[in-house]
Amino acid sequence: MIQLHNVSLAYQQDASALNNIDLKIGKGEFVFLTGPSGAGKTTLLRLLYGALTPNRGQVLIDGQNITRMSASQIPLLRRTVGVVFQDFKLLQNRTVFENVAITLEVLGWGRADIGKKTMHILKQMGIESKYNLITQRLSGGEQQRVALARALVNDPKILLADEPTGNLDDANKNQILNIFKEANIRGTTVVVATHDRRLIEQSHKRLVTLIKGEIVEQVEKESASDDQTL
Amino acid sequence: MNKWKKNQPATIKPFKRPTLAGDGFGGRAGFFLSRAVTNIRQNVFVNVVTIGTITLALLIVSLFLLIFVNLESAAENWSERVQVTVYFDKELSSQDQSAFRDKITALSGVSRVSYVTREEALKRFKSRLRGQETLLEGVRPEILPTSFEIALKRTHRDTISVESFVTTLKRIPGITEVQYGEEWVRRFNSFLNFIRLLGALLGGFLVIAVIFIVSNTIKLTIYSRRDELEVMSLVGATRFFIKAPFLLEGLIQGMTGSVFSVILLFGLYEGFLHNAGSFLTFNPVTSGLSFLPLEYIAGLLLAGAMLGFIGSLTSLKRFINV
Repeated sequence: MIQLHNVSLAYQQDASALNNIDLKIGKGEFVFLTGPSGAGKTTLLRLLYGALTPNRGQVLIDGQNITRMSASQIPLLRRTVGVVFQDFKLLQNRTVFENVAITLEVLGWGRADIGKKTMHILKQMGIESKYNLITQRLSGGEQQRVALARALVNDPKILLADEPTGNLDDANKNQILNIFKEANIRGTTVVVATHDRRLIEQSHKRLVTLIKGEIVEQVEKESASDDQTL
Repeated sequence: MNKWKKNQPATIKPFKRPTLAGDGFGGRAGFFLSRAVTNIRQNVFVNVVTIGTITLALLIVSLFLLIFVNLESAAENWSERVQVTVYFDKELSSQDQSAFRDKITALSGVSRVSYVTREEALKRFKSRLRGQETLLEGVRPEILPTSFEIALKRTHRDTISVESFVTTLKRIPGITEVQYGEEWVRRFNSFLNFIRLLGALLGGFLVIAVIFIVSNTIKLTIYSRRDELEVMSLVGATRFFIKAPFLLEGLIQGMTGSVFSVILLFGLYEGFLHNAGSFLTFNPVTSGLSFLPLEYIAGLLLAGAMLGFIGSLTSLKRFINV
């Protein structure tokens, strides 16, 4: 589903953010990206939804080389990739409903269908009662779930999340993780960048560790039976 | 079953993906229009500021236009005085009269030719010296010349045209003495040219200032919503999809602003017409002032719409690179 070949990227000439990255993530996989701050986790995620193009190497998403995509093709790619940003990027003066519905509006869905589908995903996230609240008034955990709802509402092939549990308490963390897992079970490939050790240990998924822009360690998924113990 | 799945309500069923609605140009246009209207409703303050700016900016331009149009029409009226007169020592026979009349009328630029007999000339002389008729005692019509008075078409009233007209007029055999107030024509025309140059310069500066102010105001309104542009781009909206509602919004703002400015201008004009008599030496109602012609108003409305549209277009370029 996701393939990176020899990818290097530098924001400035002598400071490389990513160096010779080779990574394959299969369809339906669940992968954690970890590493200290500044290791290149966010940069790697940004490559995957076409916000950055590498200086060297190829990035393939679902068989398409996105380093060669024209500007008009990038939106089509993004419709198949749901992204949860570290800072959520919610529209602060809009309601929860509007924030989630925007994904479907962009796809050209009709109003009635948008209403049904948006309420459906809000129900899954457990925030359907807050659909008419301005996002500014929500707690951090609730905002996180709105961001997740927006990323998942059109059933993307790939879900990317950047530090999704950053400021959340344990109860909220577990709920968010469960949502990721459920999406994964439905067939979505999930890539989560985090340096939350506990989250990684709890979930027993494939782990890719980045340090200074290079992959230093890859731990394959532990046995499936471990999942049950969560 | 996984432990975490137990938390989910059992009633939720998988959702079937619907067919796309709002397809086709009509559906799309309706969608963008409703988005633009929603945007305006959600950002009332910013929109009021923008429309207000466009209104004031266009009001200044249209006020200038109104003054300029009225000055021009006043100048047109004064130019009626540009007239060429051919003098004859003797009274012409009716044959000669019609012969000369035909020859003069055949020249280009002539709008009217009239023959002034000696009696007519004396009558005019007397009316000009009303109250001092004693001066004319003993003056007989025979000592006055007869003449042809030639009025010129509007397009032939500038200095060069008048001079070349006089030259060709003098070539007609029998015509020797021609007068046309050279000095007055020259001065009048240079005054007219000065007014036009001044108008073009001032108008040009005004238009540039207005474009600058309006495009910056629009830039601010779009800047205040850059988050929205970014989010739309990140969830996969095409550039056109992001831009279209903003462009429509700009169009609506521009059109509303220009309508308001025309209404305000008309109010100012009517107010001036009916109140200025008390502090001016002339009565504006009877002085032949006129409001902007219809094509100018249409032009203003169009200019407002274009201003809003192009202002949005150039501002969007800055923010949509994602």
